[in-house]
Amino acid sequence: MSEGFGIRSLHPSVLAAYYAGGIALGMLLFHPLVLLAGAAASLAVNAALDGGRAWRRGAPAFVPMLLLVIILNPLVSHRGRTVLAYLGDMPVTLESVVYGATLAVSLLNLLTLFVSYRLVVTEQKFLYLFAGLSPKTALLAMMATGLVPRLRRRLGELMLVQRTRGITVAAGPLASRVRSGMRLMQALLAWTLEDALQTADSMQARGYGTGPRSAYPDYRFRPRDRWALAALGAAAACALAAWALGFGSLRIYPRLEGLRLSGGDAAALLAYAVYVLLPLVWEWRDRKAWRSWNSTK
Amino acid sequence: MAELELDQVTFTYPGAPAPALSSLTLRLKRGEFAVLCGPSGSGKSTLLRLIKREVSPGGKLSGSIRLGGTPLERLPAREAASRVGLVMQHPDNQLVVDTVEHELAFGMENFGLDRSAMRRRMAEIAGFFGLEPLLASRTDELSGGQKQLVNLAAVLMLYPDVLLLDEPTAQLDPLAARELLGIVQRLNEEWGMTVLISEHRIDELLPAADRVIRLEGGRAVFDGSPRAFVREARRRGDASWAAYLPQVTRWALAEAEGAESAEADPPLTVKEARLQWASRDPALRAGRPSAPAASPARPPGPPLIAAEGVFFAYGPQEPAVLKGLDYTLRQGDFAVLFGGNGSGKSTLLQLLAGLRRPQRGTVRRIGAAPAARRRAGRQAADASFSVGYLAQNPVLHFAFDTVGEDLTDAARRAGADRPEDEARRMAEALGIAGLLHRHPLDLSGGEQQLAALGIALMSRPQALLLDEPTKGLDPPARRSLAGHLARLHAAGTTLLVATHDVEFAAECATRCSLLFHGEIVADGEPERFFRGNLFYATALHRLFPDGPPQPLRRQEGATVR
Repeated sequence: MSEGFGIRSLHPSVLAAYYAGGIALGMLLFHPLVLLAGAAASLAVNAALDGGRAWRRGAPAFVPMLLLVIILNPLVSHRGRTVLAYLGDMPVTLESVVYGATLAVSLLNLLTLFVSYRLVVTEQKFLYLFAGLSPKTALLAMMATGLVPRLRRRLGELMLVQRTRGITVAAGPLASRVRSGMRLMQALLAWTLEDALQTADSMQARGYGTGPRSAYPDYRFRPRDRWALAALGAAAACALAAWALGFGSLRIYPRLEGLRLSGGDAAALLAYAVYVLLPLVWEWRDRKAWRSWNSTK
Repeated sequence: MAELELDQVTFTYPGAPAPALSSLTLRLKRGEFAVLCGPSGSGKSTLLRLIKREVSPGGKLSGSIRLGGTPLERLPAREAASRVGLVMQHPDNQLVVDTVEHELAFGMENFGLDRSAMRRRMAEIAGFFGLEPLLASRTDELSGGQKQLVNLAAVLMLYPDVLLLDEPTAQLDPLAARELLGIVQRLNEEWGMTVLISEHRIDELLPAADRVIRLEGGRAVFDGSPRAFVREARRRGDASWAAYLPQVTRWALAEAEGAESAEADPPLTVKEARLQWASRDPALRAGRPSAPAASPARPPGPPLIAAEGVFFAYGPQEPAVLKGLDYTLRQGDFAVLFGGNGSGKSTLLQLLAGLRRPQRGTVRRIGAAPAARRRAGRQAADASFSVGYLAQNPVLHFAFDTVGEDLTDAARRAGADRPEDEARRMAEALGIAGLLHRHPLDLSGGEQQLAALGIALMSRPQALLLDEPTKGLDPPARRSLAGHLARLHAAGTTLLVATHDVEFAAECATRCSLLFHGEIVADGEPERFFRGNLFYATALHRLFPDGPPQPLRRQEGATVR
């Protein structure tokens, strides 16, 4: 979907604030139900952004990790009063099971947020944020990120051609493979450095280093950004207030209290869920604009 | 007023015995289009870099370089950077950032322009170049021609007064080169931009240029109009001068040689040749050849490598590059493969060389003796193949710190008893014996090409597959490479060359094929192949649609060698 639509149309600084707040609150709050609500909310954001495709692509990588956390925590940690069973002479406590599960939900929440971050905050926006602080650092960061795929592509070419003269890491005894690998890396570096000199020339030829730099990427701070920032601030303030009063965090050790939500916990849950879901308002608004445009056509 | 003045410029690289440029005096008027030519190492790049202060080499400089009357070294840094623009040879290495739009903005960012000014220039230049559709693209996804167009546009963003181009089309295919030169010409004509361009292939440039400057050994040996350049080349009768003339001009000069008639001016383009001679020569008027195009028919040799029904794609989601292609390389062929950019020429060569496997269809080596084939099968990755492959970029072939080590290693792997001797013999045969101690990356393009050829030849391949070997070479290097390939062919090596270089094919090949849409659409002897082609044809074939008056090889031989 295009950059000027819905969540993506918000100013990079608003988006940065949104994700910073979402992650900070996700780490402060520690109640399985609150975090589950947060994860569900950010999953909804993901679904609105790309139908959850990026999340589904990433899931095979992080779901096993979450399961591992759930399984490992009771095996490693034996704190807690309520013993469920013994594995050999090792107590498995209810508290450590719940703690592991909560930790897994917390991670799930953060990862889901991060998946939507990758969709919304493009490299351009990231650099725009950075370029304000230090244009040189931003340029360096971008050139470095561009270097990795370039090196990989070049290594592929090099390996294909060097195979014709017998320098390969795919066949032969281990010692010769290692030697060949070193040769390939050396050739790759020599070649890349040679080219980097020309890139440096090209930069200098266009006046790099002649004085202070400005940054080209431009995002305007629009009224909707102001509204978004205000609404996000309000929701975050509510959640933070609840947290400061001791709500939204489950007391697990030494003895598990009930999973039931108190009034304060419910407020924290509501504030956090609203916070995470807020940008969907603009997604919904822009979609409505399309629908009404289509119906009047 | 002269925009650019060079007065008695002499420049010596540190440690060099002789100056790279000696007492060079040059004046470029505002809005002039000057072409700089001369063999590799004649000081073209040094001259351009001295004018572009930011990239000027270290060394001893005497004389003065003035820009609009002000000595170059007295200009403030920003003014010097913006008033002279430089486009270099390699499209990739000049790109700095990730997207086209940002690349175009890079120079303006360096000058600290504010955003509204940047946007405005962006709109102007992107509009002039027609780059709007590409603005959001990533620079590494562009074709070579598009990259070079972006590089030119990025330089123009600073509104330079003088535009310098250092062999800007050497790495491009002819179509992209023509497009780039067309834009440069428009800049000169419509904006009055002062242009100084160095090029090896100046066929396209001569008709558009105001001045031609020829450097030899750091001295300007010629400075005058293109017509005067042609007359001078004719007067000298020097092959190294003639090599820089358009093919039509060379042909016309050779034609007029016997007549000794005080010809007004030899033609620079096919159009001029038609107009000049249509009235005089009835054969030309009728478009008939004045002599039958005789090319000795050779019986086709036995098949060596055969591709049958080959399908190839670079990934399951990628479009197929080759679609059911059939091609047979026969023993004794000097075959040439034409095709547009991205038509799959390189892929086909790699498939035939056994570097890649087709998803469907087969590539068979028929020529290899059964024993050799068995060995090749077992050591599929080893160099003992009877098929040699030379990639488009010769740099890919080097793995050591000197050319000598590279050749020696290749000889050792090929099983030579005394690899050092073998390496020296190969270097002598290719005329690069003086370069054995040099680093491969320090060589010129032509020397790199020969060194890579030496590495590939060490295993004594029965067939040699070359990917655009003449790309970026100056006429002498190109001639020397063509000579070596002709000798290899005469010695019994089967050759397959993928190229855009139509003249090279017309001179050397015994067979031409055209790859289009993943299939071979034309295949035959050069004369039959070129006849009637408009795009994949030499200028002479365009002048004589029914075939040139005499076989091109002989005629070429008379003028070039």
